[in-house]
Amino acid sequence: MAGIHPIAQGIAIFFLITGTLLSLIGVIGFLRLPDVYTRLHATGKVSVFGLVFLLVAAIILTPLGIWKGLLLIFFVLMSAPSISHSIASAAYKSGLPLANAARDDLKGKFERHSRKNH
Amino acid sequence: MVYLFWSVLIIHLLMAFFAAWKVFNGENGVVRLAGLDLASTLTISVLVIVSIITESSFYIDVAIAAAALGYLSTVALAKLISDQKAF
Repeated sequence: MAGIHPIAQGIAIFFLITGTLLSLIGVIGFLRLPDVYTRLHATGKVSVFGLVFLLVAAIILTPLGIWKGLLLIFFVLMSAPSISHSIASAAYKSGLPLANAARDDLKGKFERHSRKNH
Repeated sequence: MVYLFWSVLIIHLLMAFFAAWKVFNGENGVVRLAGLDLASTLTISVLVIVSIITESSFYIDVAIAAAALGYLSTVALAKLISDQKAF
């Protein structure tokens, strides 16, 4: 860490602290929000903003991990939306109710199973 | 500098603990699956912070493998839930 320019070090510390705060916001939202769909909205912040900002800080601070870090950023940005979509699709098809929803745009377009314990 | 890295590591471990607590105390299977996905994402974050602390890039290889494993397991379990074969 001795051979890093101080401006690059400051940028890395900024990304580290910002990513940690956004992950904290996402986890608090996951614990506090009422519904599985809104909880998925909160957990997307953790994987996209928190992890990608930490990886940018790791690319600046570690001397060897440039292409590995870019590969992991690419993979996370590819996989996080499809994970959120698959979990939300599973929740809607298995018949979980929407908390405080004004309207349901997908009403009648899918066959929703009925659940005993929701 | 080092204290900042260690405090960030401890914050991420606490967040992973709360996500794992939600896996065991969730309302239904889908909330537990979302908590499992969140816990795997925070595990990858912890590996990245360890690679910053030790200044080596080997932990990023482990993080790539953990990301691939978490993606496959989460998508497979979501498919099982939407086909009414599990939970």
